[in-house]
Amino acid sequence: MSRTPISVGGLALACVIFCLSACGSQSTPPAAQSAAPPPAAPASPYAALAKLPDWSGVWEPAFAPRPAAGAAAPAPPKLTPAYAAQYAKFQEKNRKTPGLNFVSEVASCVPPGVPQSMQEPYPIEFLFTPGRVTILIETYSLVRRIPTDGKPAPADPDPTYQGTSVGHWEGDTLVVETSAILPETSPLNGINGHSAQFHVTERMRLVQPDLLEITTTRTDPAVFVEPYTTTADYRRHRDWKIMEYVCQQNNHDALDAHGNAAFSLKHQPGE
Amino acid sequence: MKLSRWLTSMLLCATWLAFGPAASAHHSTAMFEWGKEKSLSGTIERYEWTQPHTFLWVVVPREQGGTQEWGLEGMSPSWLGRRGWSRHSLSAGDKVTIVYYPLKDHRPGGFYVRVTTSDGRTLAALPQRSG
Repeated sequence: MSRTPISVGGLALACVIFCLSACGSQSTPPAAQSAAPPPAAPASPYAALAKLPDWSGVWEPAFAPRPAAGAAAPAPPKLTPAYAAQYAKFQEKNRKTPGLNFVSEVASCVPPGVPQSMQEPYPIEFLFTPGRVTILIETYSLVRRIPTDGKPAPADPDPTYQGTSVGHWEGDTLVVETSAILPETSPLNGINGHSAQFHVTERMRLVQPDLLEITTTRTDPAVFVEPYTTTADYRRHRDWKIMEYVCQQNNHDALDAHGNAAFSLKHQPGE
Repeated sequence: MKLSRWLTSMLLCATWLAFGPAASAHHSTAMFEWGKEKSLSGTIERYEWTQPHTFLWVVVPREQGGTQEWGLEGMSPSWLGRRGWSRHSLSAGDKVTIVYYPLKDHRPGGFYVRVTTSDGRTLAALPQRSG
């Protein structure tokens, strides 16, 4: 006990001496100041990331789209006749039997496209690197690469499930424009397919410290009479990790030969 | 206050009915009699902790003698693994009672809702209905 104050005092003294000598060695003599300064190292592109909002952790989608302020339920989409008939059939099924009634190739492990891939039940994660935002989607293990470096979108990209995205920051809001989404994907739960003109605009921002809001606008003259916008919430879980999700691992729910919902009681290979 | 809580629970119930459980992420629940609880007792043959769904193979005694193998799908590791379940929650040889939603076509299968083990644990495997 009696030695403690002495050793602390000695340590403090050593620190003072060290600091004084360190400061002294760093002070530049007046003669040296007039010499040409060394060329400044280029600012690291990573330095710009410090200005971005903190979206770390993983984000769990809320159960269902949130109604617009003051509305009791999300507004229904205004659809062209062909797609209206398809959507009405889906709504009718929902009225008759609870549970999700949407049948699509996704049941057979074909992944969803944008924007439905953002509305799967399992979490998503954002990675910020210079000039780019990457979204990792747990369900189906999907990746969205969103350049934010100001370069225009490529002229004629191949259609893909996650489409071709270009993003930019408006303050703390990430705005993502996506097109070239494969036309056989679903633009909205209850609708299969869309045209090559399908375009998605997403605005992503924090509305509370641990609540991310994504407003999604779907535009496609073949499907939507007017652009259709929905809002979804994502809750932050800082301690969760994205899990592996390989749909083919043990899928018993592939559609049958007629494209209807089915259930297989076959054992998986290797059992 | 009471009314708003009632409205909230009604809204949650309506949401459930409209959008279904998270279980149906990648497929319809049309093959099951969703919401119709039935029960069976048997011995776990195999518990598959796999995506996109966990799967329980259960050997169930038949009334007329002998046994029958049942296959029950469940929520995914992505859902169960974040709510207290793990690949060790159930093991081959465990004697269990399972509440499940049956297949519409009456084959020996369905979707498991909760599992009670012989030591009295009950494991909930679906979100609780709120309405």
